[in-house]
Amino acid sequence: MSHTLLLVDDEDDIREVAQLSLEMTAGWEVHTASSGAQALAAARALKPEAILMDVMMPEMDGPTTVRHLKADPETAGIPVILLTAKVQASDRAAFEGLGVAGVLAKPFDPMALADEVAAVLGW
Amino acid sequence: MSASPAAVLVAGLPPDVPGWLSRRLGGASVHFLPAAPEAAEALRASRFQLAVVDAALLEPSVVQALAGRGTDGPALFVTAPAGTPGPGLAALLATLKPTRVFHHPLDREGLAREAAAALGAAEAAASPAAPAAGGLSAAVAQVWERFREPVLKRVDVVEQAALSLLEGGLDAEARRNAEREAHKLAGSVGTFGYGEASRLSREAEQLLTGPGELGQADALRLADLAVAIRRELQAPIGAAVPAAAVPGAVPEGQAGDGPLLLIVDSDREMAERLAMEASGRGMRTVVAHGADAARGSLARRRPDAALLELDGEGRTLELLRELADGERPVPVVVLTRSDDFADRVEVARHGGRGFLRKPISPPRAIDALEPLLRGGGEREAVVLAVDDEPAVLEAIRTIVGVGGVRVETLSDPLRFWDALESAAPDVVLLDFQMPGVTGLELCRVLRNDPRWQSVPVVFLTAQTDPDTVRRVFAAGADDFVGKPFVGPELTARIRNRLERVRLQRAIAETDALTGVANRRGSEDVLERFLRLASAQNEPFALALIDLDCFKGINDRCGHAVGDEVLARVARVLQKRFRSEDVVARWGGEEFVVGMYGMDRADGVQRIAEALEVVREEVFTDPEGKPFSISFSAGVADYPADGRELHTLYRAADAAMYQAKAAGRDRVVPSGWTPERGEGPRSVDVLVVEDDDAIARLLQHALETRGYRHEWVNSGSGAVELLTGPTPELRARVVLLDVDLPGMDGLGVLRRLAQEKLLGRTRVIMLTVRTHEAEVVRALEMGAYDHVPKPFSIPVLLQRIRRALRG
Repeated sequence: MSHTLLLVDDEDDIREVAQLSLEMTAGWEVHTASSGAQALAAARALKPEAILMDVMMPEMDGPTTVRHLKADPETAGIPVILLTAKVQASDRAAFEGLGVAGVLAKPFDPMALADEVAAVLGW
Repeated sequence: MSASPAAVLVAGLPPDVPGWLSRRLGGASVHFLPAAPEAAEALRASRFQLAVVDAALLEPSVVQALAGRGTDGPALFVTAPAGTPGPGLAALLATLKPTRVFHHPLDREGLAREAAAALGAAEAAASPAAPAAGGLSAAVAQVWERFREPVLKRVDVVEQAALSLLEGGLDAEARRNAEREAHKLAGSVGTFGYGEASRLSREAEQLLTGPGELGQADALRLADLAVAIRRELQAPIGAAVPAAAVPGAVPEGQAGDGPLLLIVDSDREMAERLAMEASGRGMRTVVAHGADAARGSLARRRPDAALLELDGEGRTLELLRELADGERPVPVVVLTRSDDFADRVEVARHGGRGFLRKPISPPRAIDALEPLLRGGGEREAVVLAVDDEPAVLEAIRTIVGVGGVRVETLSDPLRFWDALESAAPDVVLLDFQMPGVTGLELCRVLRNDPRWQSVPVVFLTAQTDPDTVRRVFAAGADDFVGKPFVGPELTARIRNRLERVRLQRAIAETDALTGVANRRGSEDVLERFLRLASAQNEPFALALIDLDCFKGINDRCGHAVGDEVLARVARVLQKRFRSEDVVARWGGEEFVVGMYGMDRADGVQRIAEALEVVREEVFTDPEGKPFSISFSAGVADYPADGRELHTLYRAADAAMYQAKAAGRDRVVPSGWTPERGEGPRSVDVLVVEDDDAIARLLQHALETRGYRHEWVNSGSGAVELLTGPTPELRARVVLLDVDLPGMDGLGVLRRLAQEKLLGRTRVIMLTVRTHEAEVVRALEMGAYDHVPKPFSIPVLLQRIRRALRG
């Protein structure tokens, strides 16, 4: 079954690969945004089933964007998965209070990304 | 960027549109322009067939650039808000006469169709749900092709940071920039299949994120990393091994027959990185995030080795015991944040084979583990059994010789001495009654030799009357087992002895202050390595390290600070050297490092690297003022400097004093002679290089390694120094940059060849990777070697060493 997903990453290359990977391996409908601000607008407009978001972005970073999403009743219910290259457990702990559905590690394997996302979301 | 020809320019659309459009147009070149100034510039300056511009970007500069395209010029698509355009936009559209206007929300398929028509190109089939894996790899490779250049620019930022650091000027912002770029690299390139580059980037990131000031050693490491990352990324994408982002996801038994490694670490990220490193070396991995989870996995399959993180609750110790016990003990290395000696003892008592202190890099952790998998790290325990009845010996071999215990047997007691020498047993098992020589006699002889005073001796005896037992213990035995023996009892007694030996060793042979071996603990091992070196015809280097001005530190700062200095130096040495090396503190501020399979020059190199790290350690005196330290070291080798430990030690000691005399803070090989005053100056290495930064970096590295060296920054300068009837300088090796202002490297080489100097002076050319013809010419003209730029310092030093040898 096809799902809609919003992918947020400021790095063009990674965003493209992630989009390709999700489209080609899972057949999901993937919308993209390249900044936190774009993500907020897109989430309100598109109401995706889930959001996959990079942690480290300029201006508005992932956690801040998540806080905004969770503060807005229109988007608060959308599960968010964070993508991070942070390696320390202490860094990971910082995501705990955010109410995200999961945290996935970067670099990701394009062949396995959709499976990992699906596993977190129970798809 | 704006001058490059592109078939399609896309301005002001979501950033994923260009990539997507490119794919839909069968890989057509699509250029993305995020903002108006770039768009205006590109529209003016480059040739293109189609421009797709969002109405929001139609600022005067862009409109002006588009208006000039003419009626036969390239096609123009404008994307505009839904509904009737406002008067301003309507007027613009009237002026620009776009080929097509698309409204938001954008009909992407429509855009692709129209774009294909405008380009006269075939539109690639839409296949959003095609699950073909090959298709995905190819698509990923295409994305990589388009992004390779910008990604390599990230590496430039990291490299630039290394160079700034070398020149002593990396400001906080540049450091943060480099850190961010390294972070981005670490998180992205693995996705394209460059797992190693990702790992290297992570290391660079950690180095940059680390606390405090970065020093020269960090700079060198960072420069190395940047070079290595670039090299990785320049390999074709297919050549790289895809990053295993989901370690443990490989089903057991599927990925070939590499050894199975169990990783237990509560830090998931660390566990994953360890797994990634291990699978990169052909191991299969199972990851568990706690002792309980690990037990579940053990029930299914016993690993070949395990890496356990020590928790505070003793659950890991239980697990360790389970793994180390039993028919087939699993070698276990323990990772811990504590460096407590008591913990070490505890780990040893529970059967741990290694003890690593966190934080540790995954490569180093796996390094420590690999020898155990090969079965060569900690040697297996050896039991020497002496009995005149071959049947008994066979029984002992069968019963005792399992689980990391090897049994050497001897049926002729008269050859006891030879057997002892060759087996170097951890436990001796003696029959009480034998023809010729009795077990009691053998035991007494054994106890009279200082080398064998502490080896446990267990007797096998048919008589267990009080008198016999008394005699057995009086002869120096540790235990006895009645004959005929029962399997489990014998095994238990022997294992008991072996365990005590290991424990005693760990305690008695360790320097309490620093945790490295003490003199007594290391001498045996050093001797064993020496014997092995002689048997295997391998070199063996012995280094003597003496801290500089240590007495002054003790006097000035007190002994507590002095102890801290010793402990930290020991830690650096322990970290720098492999498990096959011996690191020991022989007293005072003197450390000894034995390096098997290394000659003098290798040894100097490795000790010098350690010196570079030690120099960066910062200590604090009682007034709170930071200070740093250095050491002087001498390196001797077997067989050149002697065949005995004490002769090697003397040679290393003499070299160490030369290092002190030459100004301390350096490593000197034995046989080193200071420069004499007569005749031409003589150096090991002359550096001919016009780049100040590189030259300084090289000089520093050469000095640390005790090489005599000079630097000249021009080709003509080099010729002046080296040639003529009375040359000023004799150099054994000339490091010659090919690219010099005025007389270039080849010119210098030609002159040296004409002057017939290439016989005694070896020239290493620093060349440009892409200019192969130049390299070939240099070699034909008599250059000894060449190293392409950008070079890695360790590689270059290796080549210098080779040139200096022979």
